Amino acid sequence: MASTVIGAGITVEGEITTDEDVVVAGTVRGKLSAKEGVTIEHGATVEADVAGGSLVVAGALTGNVTASERVDMQSGSRVIGNVKAARVTIADGAQFKGNVDMDV
Amino acid sequence: MAANASIIGRTTRIRGRVSGAVDLEVQGFVDGEIAVGGDVTIDTHGMVGAGVQGKRLVVRGAVKGDLLGSEAVLLEDGARVVGDVRAPRVVIAPGALVRGFVDTGDAGMPAPRASRSTAAARPAAAPAHAPARAAAPPPKAEAPAAKAAHKPAPPAHLAGGGNHAPAPSPSVPRRPPPPVVPALKKAKGQIAKKKER
Amino acid sequence: MAQARTTSRNASDAGARIGSGARIRGRIHGDGDLVVEGQVEGELAIRGELTIAEGGAVTSEAVEAQSVVVAGTLEGDVAASGPVRLVAGARVRGNLKGSAVSIEEGARFSGRLDCEFDLPPELGGAARGDTRGRAAARR
Repeated sequence: MASTVIGAGITVEGEITTDEDVVVAGTVRGKLSAKEGVTIEHGATVEADVAGGSLVVAGALTGNVTASERVDMQSGSRVIGNVKAARVTIADGAQFKGNVDMDV
Repeated sequence: MAANASIIGRTTRIRGRVSGAVDLEVQGFVDGEIAVGGDVTIDTHGMVGAGVQGKRLVVRGAVKGDLLGSEAVLLEDGARVVGDVRAPRVVIAPGALVRGFVDTGDAGMPAPRASRSTAAARPAAAPAHAPARAAAPPPKAEAPAAKAAHKPAPPAHLAGGGNHAPAPSPSVPRRPPPPVVPALKKAKGQIAKKKER
Repeated sequence: MAQARTTSRNASDAGARIGSGARIRGRIHGDGDLVVEGQVEGELAIRGELTIAEGGAVTSEAVEAQSVVVAGTLEGDVAASGPVRLVAGARVRGNLKGSAVSIEEGARFSGRLDCEFDLPPELGGAARGDTRGRAAARR
């Protein structure tokens, strides 16, 4: 259950901290820390360092990412920043620039 | 646009500003300003640490900051607000608690029928209103059209009891409205300030 | 909503009533309830419930009562130990203090509300009388 949704048309400038799932379809600038899943939807803009359990990116993300489980960059996504997670996937059609750290 | 309703979930805390053109629901904690073009709902467990602006604000949680609704502010049971409340429509339900200045937007003076001394006490406001009978809203009814942008107050109900009929009374305006309103507004501000001390 | 209209019963049972034709200037005080249907100008201090009925008007520097219901016109400051209710049709200007203050749809009001309560600790808790600033909310 996605309990926090930053919908299209909403902009958050600042720091988001949560224990629940987060879906971003709008804009987040600052910092995003979640314990569970983070989904950055197609059309979303995130300019923030992101921490979470697992992260799915379909939109645009600029910032460093840390996930306790995994990071999936989907086709059409655009990620600029360093990614640290046990498992990282980059789909065909995803744009990515940065370092990947898969240390366990 | 309506693909996602925006919800700040129960365990979510935002330190910063939330803005946008759409609706927003707060179940968690926004420690910062909210300014959206749509409606804002602050749920029972929701908290906001600064001012909230939107079209229609519904509050059941806690707010420390001013509430500004371009259409309405509805404070429901459980609401706790420390801050000023301004909207053309303000409703505070039993069980809602407020500390702050509240202006229902059309609260020009309740034409004090009881007293003449009031006219002396409030020189700026009284001349405009003293002659107006309680049942005669014409000077105001004309005004909102002109200044709708700033204050879209419905010229509702003077003696109308509960009904909120937005029909401006077509009864004869007895004096030209334009000069009346600025004087009234100014007076309201002054009085408010005086009382705040 | 209908409560405001039941007041005439109260008046005959237990309290005093200032009828619609009456006009009083001066201080009014007492132990029971009071219903104002006429016009009162001056201080009001009663122990019971003050009802300003539709058509009633009170202009007062200070209104004290256990609870207050306004359906008419009130200009002045109110201090109630219990709730203050502005019902539809009320027109009120002044500062209202009570355990709770409610404003019904269709009531018009301009002034300060002052209820005793604490905000949650995240918002600075008991910052009484502090209507501004969020410094206290920060940790």
